[in-house]
Amino acid sequence: MTGEDPGPLIRLFGLTGGRARPQGEMFDLVAIVTTVYGARPPVDLLPEHHTVLQLCRRPTPVADVAAHLRLPVNITRVILGDLRREGLVAIERPRPAAQTIDERIYREVLDGLRSL
Amino acid sequence: MGYAASEPGTTAVAPALAIKILVAGGFGVGKTTMVGTISEIRPLHTEELLSDRGVGVDDISGVEAKITTTVALDFGRITIREGLWLYLFGTPGQDRFWFMWDELALGALGAVVLADTRRLQDCFPAVDYFEQRGIPFVVGVNCFEGARRYDPDKVRRALGLNATIPIVLCDVRERDSVKEVLTTLVTYAVEGP
Repeated sequence: MTGEDPGPLIRLFGLTGGRARPQGEMFDLVAIVTTVYGARPPVDLLPEHHTVLQLCRRPTPVADVAAHLRLPVNITRVILGDLRREGLVAIERPRPAAQTIDERIYREVLDGLRSL
Repeated sequence: MGYAASEPGTTAVAPALAIKILVAGGFGVGKTTMVGTISEIRPLHTEELLSDRGVGVDDISGVEAKITTTVALDFGRITIREGLWLYLFGTPGQDRFWFMWDELALGALGAVVLADTRRLQDCFPAVDYFEQRGIPFVVGVNCFEGARRYDPDKVRRALGLNATIPIVLCDVRERDSVKEVLTTLVTYAVEGP
């Protein structure tokens, strides 16, 4: 994304068709992405799509997917939105942290931090 | 080509959960250092593409926003166990990226506001931001070498902080120190004052 070479920008444009926002419901940077079990990807998927489907066989947060693809978060989101529309990945709906952390998780986090 | 996802039933015990924690504070206060000290991976770097909508130009409905600039986003990860992670996001320091905070803060467990006693005023905007939105935060006073050791009560008065907000003196280069800041935040965010 730096320097004079327009190549990367053109590549990004190709990945997203110039779209800046993903289709459908917005999702958080740490939303968990999971490849849908048994889904049959169409034959014309881009390499980035395959990378995501491979990576997210283990549930993976959006930010990690972006870092893994070495792509900006927004571009990653567009790719993930497309894969979701095709029914190939599931993306967790946003939930406030306060609602997801129960006593057990809280203890796990504290113990985990202390034992680092 | 089919993808065999994780087998059904084996991972359904507890859904994967990534907990988001923000690290805020003025430029050069040690945000990236703090993330790097505790992260199990070298802080990951990605970029957020900003649209002209993001930088304050009126949105024209139905017209795709034009991408105009990028901002670096650094984050680190702590794996508590398989399927449970803490993510630390350093907030962009520059004021012009202020709007990005809203997205970063959405759903966050809480924030660490790093303060440098030589430039306490630099962390005012972050304190204001989290106070206004009711996001739990703790203040980590990064004790740089050569900086005067401050009495936490003085810092509290100088920042106009509510008596319940934890203030932790820390050295963001020290793992144990960063652990203490984070455990203080998690405790405060979950149990309240």
